[in-house]
This record gives sequence, structure tokens and C-alpha cells, in this order.
Amino acid sequence: MAIQRDTFPLPDVDDPLVAPYFAGAARGELVVPQCDGCHRYVWYPEEVCPGCGGVLTWTPVSGRGTLFTWVVVRRAFLPAFEDKVPFVSALIALAEDPAVRIVAYVDAEPAALVADQPVHVEFRPLAFSTVPGKEVVVPWFVPSSS
Amino acid sequence: MDQWGHATDLDDIRGGFAIAGIGETAYTKASGRTAREIGAVAAELAIADAGLDPSDIDGLTWSGAFPDFDLDAFHEHFGTSHDIWTSPWGGGMAWAATAPYLAAQAIREGKARHVLNVFPVAWATQRSSMTGGPGEVHAAQSLKQNLEVPFGFFPQPVYFSSIMRRHMLEFGTTEEQFGAVAVAGRRHANLNPDAVMHAKSMTMADYLAAPMLAEPLRLFDSCLISDGGAAYVTTSLERARDLKQPPAVVAGVGEGYSGSGTHWAQQRAFTSTPQVFSAPGAFAMAGIGPADVDLLTVYDPFTVVSLMQIEDMGFCAKGEAGAFVEGDTLHHDAGRLPFNTHGGLLSHAYVLGIAHVVECVKQLRGVAAAQVPDCEVAVYGGYTGHMASTLVLTKDA
Repeated sequence: MAIQRDTFPLPDVDDPLVAPYFAGAARGELVVPQCDGCHRYVWYPEEVCPGCGGVLTWTPVSGRGTLFTWVVVRRAFLPAFEDKVPFVSALIALAEDPAVRIVAYVDAEPAALVADQPVHVEFRPLAFSTVPGKEVVVPWFVPSSS
Repeated sequence: MDQWGHATDLDDIRGGFAIAGIGETAYTKASGRTAREIGAVAAELAIADAGLDPSDIDGLTWSGAFPDFDLDAFHEHFGTSHDIWTSPWGGGMAWAATAPYLAAQAIREGKARHVLNVFPVAWATQRSSMTGGPGEVHAAQSLKQNLEVPFGFFPQPVYFSSIMRRHMLEFGTTEEQFGAVAVAGRRHANLNPDAVMHAKSMTMADYLAAPMLAEPLRLFDSCLISDGGAAYVTTSLERARDLKQPPAVVAGVGEGYSGSGTHWAQQRAFTSTPQVFSAPGAFAMAGIGPADVDLLTVYDPFTVVSLMQIEDMGFCAKGEAGAFVEGDTLHHDAGRLPFNTHGGLLSHAYVLGIAHVVECVKQLRGVAAAQVPDCEVAVYGGYTGHMASTLVLTKDA
């Protein structure tokens, strides 16, 4: 049951279920699976639409959202995070469908964060000192000026 | 109504079955024992408590996710070889509440008479070798590995801190209200010589001064990591009345599921548990309401999980548990809702709920360390994230 993948905790960009998410981020697009049949967003990704069984297409979204909740992680629960704490790990409710919550880092002063404040996506490389020489471009969120 | 989960449809087993024997090992930090050894001790004690012999046990349930004490372990320990009906859908966590239902079904169908449910854990011992523990199972799930862990959303203290924050934002719940749960649990543990934290007191000031692990979640919002185990024997009420101990009657059982599984980040009702779906069925089967409950024990890995289950089981309205738990509400001797009177996962031991059920039985027998006066209805709320369960036990009439 232990994690065998040597790039952990970087995401596995070759995992077919999530590869398009990271491919999107690499070209500067936030993409989320949307059902061709009933047009709902499906998050987390699934093989087919759980509502109607329709085909899911990874669709670009605005990259805007609101800060649903956040945690200021102060203890490193994995060795990879020892040089990252403290950091803000958050759930971002997407503007297109707030039921879609993207898990992401928020780059901001923790004390200044406010519930449901507007945020928007940026794309930045994620790397861990425990996984030398590797990085993956991922969505990152920052507060939007109102 | 927008359904984010569902209840399991269960047969009415009210009043036909009872817990007739309980057994507990020592609850400790790292003991050097294996979970299989711990399970054997708990099993032996529960069988003896009921006044039975190992050869009388013809049903055995354990946790399929942690199959440390299974049929092979039973026979090896007791030197027996008789036929035993088995199910891996028992053990601890949410299944500590539904194991008596499984037993009832097996007894009704004539497959067994005395069904032993066992749950041991040795995570404190295993921690030094970096195996086991609550995080490992989750880190292995690919969606978590790719969409949560890389972004620091891992493990459980982070998940439940995010829920805690949202509970604070939506309902105005305060740090001190979470602290009230932790402090009440410690008060009970201080009265209970079996509790891991028996000798360590904790005031609200201590709670607030403890380090933030994942803000707003502090050290004392989090459960312990322990070694220990417990077991209990379920049989028909008729049979239980002939055995050594006063029966704890199984009055109601419920089970509910969240549609989003263990992906807390995506659960639509973010500050709720599937106890919303589980408790009503159990209370209806038992013919009781929240006001009839003399003792509530709930699976409490983090203080926010206690608050949410108190709300979701109907002891107060959604969002109001913070104010509800202030003061002495949860105390065994003076409270409106005596709660986790053994100390719970935060201060008794992290044995994943099995000791909560044993505490219910002890309270109904009148032999608990922090005894609730005139305890006649005791409830366990089980929780594993994607699933919640409810067990209503009552004193025999």
C-alpha cells in the first residue's frame, strides 16, 4: 500500500484520469471535465458523466473563483513539505460552478484571507526538494483586486 | 431536497438482540505488540465476560480493511477448529455500530448463536516503522495523490481543518467551542484509569496554547495514535438474559453514505456528515428521539467531527453545536448530553470506535469510570468519512 512512484508527491501527469488537467496547466489553461450531454461539470474527474453517462470533455474555464475554505499548514506531514511550511492549502469554488472545488495553493498573506473572496488562477511550476530535477506546472490561485 | 448521500434500508431488529459480553485490552502508546495479539486478548476477555467458552463462538466479524484478527487468528489463539460464520464487514469505525446488525441477521438465519466482533489496532507501535496509520490508505488513492496531496491537502488534520474553518465561517463557531469538546473529553479521561491521557489534565488555556498543526486545527483537536483493542459478543436477547451479564439491548441501527466518498473536498454538504442519513433510521427503529438519549459517544477523530455529528443527529440545529457544547453540556455528571465519557479518540485511545461501543455497554451496566446517573439509552455514532452509522443500545427492561 505504500507509495511506490518516485515522483510522489508531485502529481502523476501520465495518469489518464488527470493528465489533461496538467496538460492544460502547462499551456496556461484551467480545464475541467464537462459532460457533452448534460453540460454539467464533473469534479473530480470520472470515466463518464455520473449523471447521464455522457462523454466528458476537458473544457477551459475562466480561472476565476472564490475562496471556499483554507488551511494554514504549519506542520509538515510528509518530508517533502518540510521546507514549504507554513503554506496555504485551499479549496477554490469555481465561478462557473461553485460545487467544483479546486484544491490549490493560495499565494497570499494568511492573515489577510477572507471567506469567499475572489481569487484567480495563475500557472506556476511545482517542485519538491525530495524529488530533485522534476517539476510540474500547476494551477495556483491569488487574490483578485476588487 | 438536494440529496448528497443516502441511508441504507435496514430490517427492523429492535429488541431482539443484545450485546452480552465486552472485552478490552490495555490502551497504550507503542506496546510492541501486533494487532493480531491485541485482538486475541480482547476476544478472550469478551468471551469470558459473557460467561461463554471459545467453542461457543460460532460467528466472527472483523474489519476487512484491517484484517488483523480474522478466523485464522481466532482458531490459532484458542486452539479450536469448529465451524464459524464470518464477515469482514465488522470491526471498528462505522462498522462498530453495524456489526450487531450483521450478527442479528446471522442469528435470525440460524447461521450463528454467539457472534464475536473484534477490532484491534497497533498504529502506535507501527508508527516507528512508518507503516499503517490513517494517512497511508488515503495517499494510495490516485485522485488524492494527484489532485490533493501535491497541493498540501493531506492528510486528515488538513482535511478536517478545512471543514473546521468553513464551520467557523458559516456559523460563527469559535476556537473555544472546539476547545470545549477537547476539554470535556480530557475531563472524562482524567476520571478513567484506562485512558491513555488519564494522568494528563488539560484546561481551556492549555488547549488554546497548544501548537497549530494546520490552522485553525490545533494539536488537541486531533485524536491520539494508540495501541489497543476491544471486542463484544452479540446474541439473541433471549439468550443474553441467560448469560452472566445484564444485556445491552440493540434497539436501533442506522447507516448512511456520502455520495462523494472520502473526497471531503468535494462533499456538497461540506460541514455535514452522513450521520444526517444514518441517525434518523436508528432513532426511528428504537422508537426514540434525541431527547431520550442519556449518553452519546461518537467517532471523534477531530473536534469538528464531534460538533458536526451532534448537529447531524439532531441534538441541536445545524450550525449551533458550537454554542450547544459550551460549559458543562458534555459532562458525564451534570451535562445535558453526556458525551464520550471514556475520553473518546482525543483522550481515551485511538482504537477507532470500538471502545465507544464498549463504553455504551459499561454505562448501561452502571460500571463506567465516569458513570452517567441512570443511564438507560446509550448511542454510538460511527463515522469513516464516506459513511456514518448509528447504534442505539438500551438497558434491558
